[in-house]
Amino acid sequence: MTGQRLFPTQEIGSLAKPRWQRLGQRGETIDERGREEFRRWDDAIHFANGAGPLAGALLGGPPSPSDPAAFRDLGALFLLRYLEAAGLDRVYDGEARRIEMYEYPVRQMRGLEFLGHVRSFDNKYYLKAAATGPVELLAPYHVDEFDFVRANARAIPKIPITGPYTLAEWSYNEHYLGRQAGWKGREARRRAEREFVLDVARKAIRPTLQALIDRGASVIQIDEPAAGTHPKEADLVAEGFNAATEGLDAVFSMHICFSDYRTLFPAILEAKACRQWAWEFANRDTADHDGYETLKLFREYGDDREIGLGVLDVHRDEVESPERVADRILRASTILGDPSRIWVNPDCGLRTRSLDVAWKKLTAMVEGARMARATLEGSS
Amino acid sequence: MSQLRTALTGPLPRSEALVAATRDLDRGRTTPEAVEELYRRGESEVDELEARLGLDVRSGGYLRWADLFRPFAETWGGFTVGPITRYFETNTFFRQPILHSPPVRTPGAIRKRLPAPPSSDLSNRKVTLPGPYTFAGLLDNRSGETRESLTHRLGRLLSEEVRELYGAGYRTFQFQEPLLVVDPPEGPLAEAAVASYRSISQAAQGSTTIVWTFFADARPAFPLLDRLAVSVIGVDLAETEPAELPVPASPRSLGLGCIDPRTTLLETPDDVVRIVRGAFERFHPPQLWLGPGAPLDLLPYEAATRKLELLPAVRQRLGESGGAEA
Repeated sequence: MTGQRLFPTQEIGSLAKPRWQRLGQRGETIDERGREEFRRWDDAIHFANGAGPLAGALLGGPPSPSDPAAFRDLGALFLLRYLEAAGLDRVYDGEARRIEMYEYPVRQMRGLEFLGHVRSFDNKYYLKAAATGPVELLAPYHVDEFDFVRANARAIPKIPITGPYTLAEWSYNEHYLGRQAGWKGREARRRAEREFVLDVARKAIRPTLQALIDRGASVIQIDEPAAGTHPKEADLVAEGFNAATEGLDAVFSMHICFSDYRTLFPAILEAKACRQWAWEFANRDTADHDGYETLKLFREYGDDREIGLGVLDVHRDEVESPERVADRILRASTILGDPSRIWVNPDCGLRTRSLDVAWKKLTAMVEGARMARATLEGSS
Repeated sequence: MSQLRTALTGPLPRSEALVAATRDLDRGRTTPEAVEELYRRGESEVDELEARLGLDVRSGGYLRWADLFRPFAETWGGFTVGPITRYFETNTFFRQPILHSPPVRTPGAIRKRLPAPPSSDLSNRKVTLPGPYTFAGLLDNRSGETRESLTHRLGRLLSEEVRELYGAGYRTFQFQEPLLVVDPPEGPLAEAAVASYRSISQAAQGSTTIVWTFFADARPAFPLLDRLAVSVIGVDLAETEPAELPVPASPRSLGLGCIDPRTTLLETPDDVVRIVRGAFERFHPPQLWLGPGAPLDLLPYEAATRKLELLPAVRQRLGESGGAEA
């Protein structure tokens, strides 16, 4: 962190895809709502100039051929510029090319078969696969999208990739479980889970990370939102992380959200190559509960790695004020005792919020980080 | 087969059509009326499924419930709906109810949210509710009331709920109590749990009351479970070895959760028949209830319905061999 200003900001996950991208990728005509959305955001962040004939067509020029790939590229460029324009220091493309964080990587592997949707909460679901054979990688993934981001980014690109524990935990592990005698017991489930996690880590994630690093990726976020699912498996999360990253040359972070973090300690700290813990906190920070007090655990266990501090609740439309963001950052700084360890980010991906709401939240976050910086540095 | 009963343990997953419709509703791509029509159709399909499977009591699938607690958090006084919170060791979440002041039951509110029954005869419908211990333990209690007192209070409020539903014609009430085995109570809290079920049983005399436990081994908590004034104690066979359960002080009906919703691997009828026979021999239960070990909404719809075929298969084998009459 030497020489870096306090409280740099970063994105943490996916954003909603703009309407014109969704329509265009489906091969549908871009309606007036989609065109108006395009024009409005171009007025706001000026991303279309030089972005090619499709952008010109969406601004009112002659119709372009309906090439889904062109819409994907333009969507990725838009979300990259959106995050840059919001003022973030580390950016990506809002995962504009991905279906979501589980289905896409699973589709790059052999040995997994989709079975149907399972509810996560409310009306949110995910398509769940089962391991029906040994996991193998078809080809390293996210490489083309990283090439595109690297070629176009003005800020530092940070690529997110779903971690091995989450991919295994969010799947049924029938192949590995079916090999266990007496598969109904908890111990059998754990043995099967470990085999599954390590196969995903070694055979799918690691070669993908290596390919990304070969293409120039230097900051990589391993997403492990499932890390807190089973309190006694935090060691598997760390073991999977190590199997995927050991000896690779990049700055790795681990994103975890919506978990009881106490159950992860101290086993999670064995994730040796993890430089930053990027976790959700704002969701649990309310008027009568300090959502950041969990940070005391890092002090308690003597872990002085960076913290990616979640300061935006991604599941509510209410926009946090910059003052509230600053307050959260300053409270966390006090708890950690070292503000230079803090990066500021949303709790998780803002995909479930509209682009308008996400924009307001992100700009409030950047302003809140500036205010917190000014408070500690004594000037703005 | 008079001693064997089969039923669902909790909600069924939504069908792929309902998944798509509710997603579309959130994205403004369909209308509430269109989704309502799919809910009705979905509930009808669940009724048909439960009938085809020969379930003794039917639930309707609880397709509309966002989570076990939401109807209460949204309609009872004292609550607001809180943050997304993991539901035990699963990848499903609930919005944690926040209790700001002593809870106040709203008469009629829960009944309105129950799955619509296909006929006016409710005697074979099962109502599934949160158990008072789990409810009190999973909510964010900012009311100032102790957990013991709150457990007891929720038991009294749920007993009022049961009384109202009994008056409407319902005769089977299941209370979801995973926390009783995940984090068994001791001392005064255990006594509060016992007292809360005493309240419930008094409100439901003449009905069948079920406490269903899941997500952990029921053995450590079984002495306490055996003290609960309910008709049936249900355990999750993915976590609990029934042959190692202590024999109840007096014969009591048991529930065996023989379908594991954590995996799509199919249980074999022969294995379950063996377990059922062993349970009859060991426990001499007045009734033995078979069902999923935990709510089936951890599975996609197709996989869940496929696994449910186990229940009639087991019943058929026991009927053929007369095993359930032992």
